[in-house]
Amino acid sequence: MDTHVSFWRSRRKWIFAAAALPVLVAAWWAFRPEKLWVNHKVSEPAPFASNTDPQPLYTGRLEGKAHQTSGRATIYKTPDGKQYLRLTDFSTSNGPDVHVLLARSAEANLTQEIVKGQLDSVELGSLKGNQGDQNYDLPASVDLQKYNAAVIYCERFHAVFGLARLEPF
Amino acid sequence: MAFAFAASVHAQDAMKQEGKAKTLATGTFHGKVHSTSGRATIYQEADGKLVLRLTNFKTSNGPDVHVILVATKDADDDANFLKSSTERVELGSLKGNQGDQNYEIPSNTDLSKFQTVSIYCERFNANFGAAPLEKF
Repeated sequence: MDTHVSFWRSRRKWIFAAAALPVLVAAWWAFRPEKLWVNHKVSEPAPFASNTDPQPLYTGRLEGKAHQTSGRATIYKTPDGKQYLRLTDFSTSNGPDVHVLLARSAEANLTQEIVKGQLDSVELGSLKGNQGDQNYDLPASVDLQKYNAAVIYCERFHAVFGLARLEPF
Repeated sequence: MAFAFAASVHAQDAMKQEGKAKTLATGTFHGKVHSTSGRATIYQEADGKLVLRLTNFKTSNGPDVHVILVATKDADDDANFLKSSTERVELGSLKGNQGDQNYEIPSNTDLSKFQTVSIYCERFNANFGAAPLEKF
């Protein structure tokens, strides 16, 4: 008689299985690997009624380039579809012929274009003040995917005072 | 360029908004280990209540994931990133790993101190993603 019963036919298989099961359950509970594939999507409304107020679309912090510049630049859309750029906590140095522009944020482009005198930008007007909160209307058809930076720009000396990369709000 | 003048011009355009809720601070998520993205914004409602709202939000799903405020300027991707000395404010379990969601912030929370939102896996003390908040 063959006393050497193979593993898969022996009782050891069942003992092994009985011991392994709680380990597997514990490992599953701890790591919940199925969550790697299962998403749980929620969609809560904003905590306040706001569809009558301007909605922020993009925002970013201003960083100083040629001059120390700080604050926040935010693009809002009003309920009637108009868009404007708002600067808050804003401070830059005063200077001659300073304008607010929208440009493409890629640094290399910006510098090159300025050097060549062909800055690809959307003019929003002369800087109203070198400090304080201020709004600038955007032309109706600005591609904000492309012109994704707010730039404080001195036309006379082709100097970027400050720049804010705008990210979706 | 030395054409900065001592005088400064102060502009004061009004916000075209009779605010019911004020936006206090905002920031975007970064997270490498568990790719996390989106925006975190803290609002103050007219009655003074503070709300954290996540928008365009995405992280990986996981067990026992919480939303917390941490008393640091930012938080790195780092297992065991929370030292026992790191102060935090618990805002609740993550409602979903995707989508827009709101969390109430306890009213006595000092937002000048708790400047970072972290998506935090309690069970493994892992930081899924963090959003440093800056004044809006």
